[in-house]
Amino acid sequence: MRSGVDRFSVVFQLPSFFRSMLCLVAMNKITHAGLRCWPWLAGLVLVAGCGKAEPPAFHSNVVEMDRQGISPKQEQDIANILGALFGTPDKPFVLTETGLDRKKLEQAAGPVRSDQFGKESGLYRRHCGHCHGTTGDGLGPTALVLNPYPRDYRQGKFKFKSTERPDKPTTADLEMILRHGIPGTAMPSFDLLPDTQIQVLIEYVKYLSMRGETELKLISAMADLSEGTLEISRTALVDEILKPVAESWSTASEKIVAPAEKPSIELALSIEKGRELFYDTKRANCIKCHGLSALGDGQTNDYDDWNKPLHEIELAIASERESLRNDTEMPAADRNERESKTATTAAILKSDSLPVRTITPRNLRLGVYRGGRRPVDLFRRIYAGINGVPMPGVGPTAPGGTGTLSPEEIWSLVDYVRSLPLEAISEPPRQRPTAAQARF
Amino acid sequence: MNTTPLELESVWPHRWAVALVCATFPLIWVGGLVTTYDAGMAVPDWPDTYGYNLFLYPWQTWVYGPFGLFIEHGHRLLGSLSGMLTIAFLISAWWCQRRGLVRWLAVVALAAVICQGALGGMRVIEDKVQLAKIHGCVGPAFFAFAVALAVITSRRWQDADGVQNRAGLGKVERLAIVTTFLAYCQLVLGSQLRHLPAGSAPGDFRVALVFHLAIAAALVVHIFLLAFQVFRTQRDEWSLVRPTTGLVALVLVEVGLGAATWVTKYGWPSWMADYLWAADYVVHEGSRLQAWVTTAHVAMGSMILASSLLVALRSVRFAWRGSRAAGQGSWLMEAAR
Repeated sequence: MRSGVDRFSVVFQLPSFFRSMLCLVAMNKITHAGLRCWPWLAGLVLVAGCGKAEPPAFHSNVVEMDRQGISPKQEQDIANILGALFGTPDKPFVLTETGLDRKKLEQAAGPVRSDQFGKESGLYRRHCGHCHGTTGDGLGPTALVLNPYPRDYRQGKFKFKSTERPDKPTTADLEMILRHGIPGTAMPSFDLLPDTQIQVLIEYVKYLSMRGETELKLISAMADLSEGTLEISRTALVDEILKPVAESWSTASEKIVAPAEKPSIELALSIEKGRELFYDTKRANCIKCHGLSALGDGQTNDYDDWNKPLHEIELAIASERESLRNDTEMPAADRNERESKTATTAAILKSDSLPVRTITPRNLRLGVYRGGRRPVDLFRRIYAGINGVPMPGVGPTAPGGTGTLSPEEIWSLVDYVRSLPLEAISEPPRQRPTAAQARF
Repeated sequence: MNTTPLELESVWPHRWAVALVCATFPLIWVGGLVTTYDAGMAVPDWPDTYGYNLFLYPWQTWVYGPFGLFIEHGHRLLGSLSGMLTIAFLISAWWCQRRGLVRWLAVVALAAVICQGALGGMRVIEDKVQLAKIHGCVGPAFFAFAVALAVITSRRWQDADGVQNRAGLGKVERLAIVTTFLAYCQLVLGSQLRHLPAGSAPGDFRVALVFHLAIAAALVVHIFLLAFQVFRTQRDEWSLVRPTTGLVALVLVEVGLGAATWVTKYGWPSWMADYLWAADYVVHEGSRLQAWVTTAHVAMGSMILASSLLVALRSVRFAWRGSRAAGQGSWLMEAAR
């Protein structure tokens, strides 16, 4: 009996007419088979094409909900309230109390489109969604492979801004980040975009942040109610939950840190003063995190505000599992319930958050500062600290108060930090000047 | 002798096939640009363009209009050109070619180009990323198929008996086939990375990326092994040496373009953060460098697929003709047994 391959080779040895005929028959069969399979093939294309046809939806903050013990019904209530207050990723909606421009939001939201006249929409999904996620939770498809992770807007915390530490960034702060990007990270500069599109993106970032913060407030409110649900009235929702969030954004421009005038002292002296403060463990104590060499190799086992709660949940899970292992006399029903709850928490953590990472203090020897390299930017970083990370502020926490360092001292520290890239890590004693003849 | 003497074979099918290849490669480029600039929906209707017949759309509005419209409509016009060239190839194959294989391959080509056009149209009408992904995977396959048509209709294909040294062809054959397979897998994975639905989970991108890198490594190794084998055993056979040399050059360029694509899109890896040039680097979204590097990476992938298919087809052909002349089974037959 001939093998299939032999039969195939025989085809090529036949006169061309018969070969053509055979091919014709084969093609005929294939065509018929194809026609028979057509509904299946069409089905395959439809499954491939329409399988994920559902429009993108906002994702609930399930990690926080699980942490605060929110029931499935409460979770649904929260989703409904948020839907009523903020709409969907394709059709955003805002109340006038938010101060947001609905037209801008509509241009930023939805699928990517452009018309014959070049007007583009779906800007957030085109430029930001792949990293920051549809919900602005920093869980976009590319987030897992980026370091640092993309920002999760839902806490309403932004690191690089001109305002006091706990306050929101101004529109100008967000614009600066969008225009200039963040060096050394995947956050790009959008300087090539028209100004109108940048403003549209800023508005949408504020929208997502307000939505996320409102969700957190709703979760806290629901958690206090145990199994009950919130009173769904405009007064309760808008005045008590939405308005404070919106006001924190609208008043941001009043919270700008205005640096004191730089004292007119000699630069070398100012640098020397700043150097002393940098190493002063009782005052600025910069070496704690940035290290003795300022290479960012000090304390590297701390977490930022986005990772710390996740780390705490991880610790709680580990502790619970340990106690379940050690407690051999626990009733089976209790054990099963606790094991099931721990497994649920672990599954939620795995599916709705990124692996926990420690924060990396900046290597100041490079002269690259993510929040801006102007002296005023460094002053604000040192004065107010960086929101969401362990970098503390050394300025006064309230207007008119006294901070750890005076404005003059902060300027000295700025001068020293700016001089670090030019300073050798180890400074050997300088050679004493000698006459040229003595050297040769 | 059951084959047609070379002097009697018309050169027109080959010429049309080459023209098809030449038209399809820019089509791949422009298609890549459409994805890079997210311009897939710049023209919301199909087969019309903003209500106009595709060919009657005012050229001033097209050329001087928004860039998204320019590349999307241009992509459709280039696609139509490829379709017309496929029809011309089909006519010439049925008119001038006596080989039934070529004739029926021409029919398949026409069916493929129609399907690809329809897929592109469905992608617009349905506005589905999944369809864009399939459209993006079929495009390079059609380009490789067009290259195969050009190879099969060439004189060298019919003059395969002229190969002197057949030792080692079996290994070349095997390596070339595996390389072609890997090159296509790589394109499919690349398509997964480029056409990510907005709501995908963070893990999806990483899985596709890890496989993309792993297959890239396997592909590079296979191309070098193929080159080694060709240079060792077939150094006098220019129809194998030239495309293999090109393949090595292409894969080196492609690796560089891949790295550049990542850097221009996501910056330098974090483990390079202590180098000033990496720490100070800012990604510029939508820059020409970013767009052209990414698109070149896509287009070079198609070139690698087509080149490896070319080497595979020629080596299979030479090995088969050689084994037939020597009265032995080819590697494929031995493997089948």
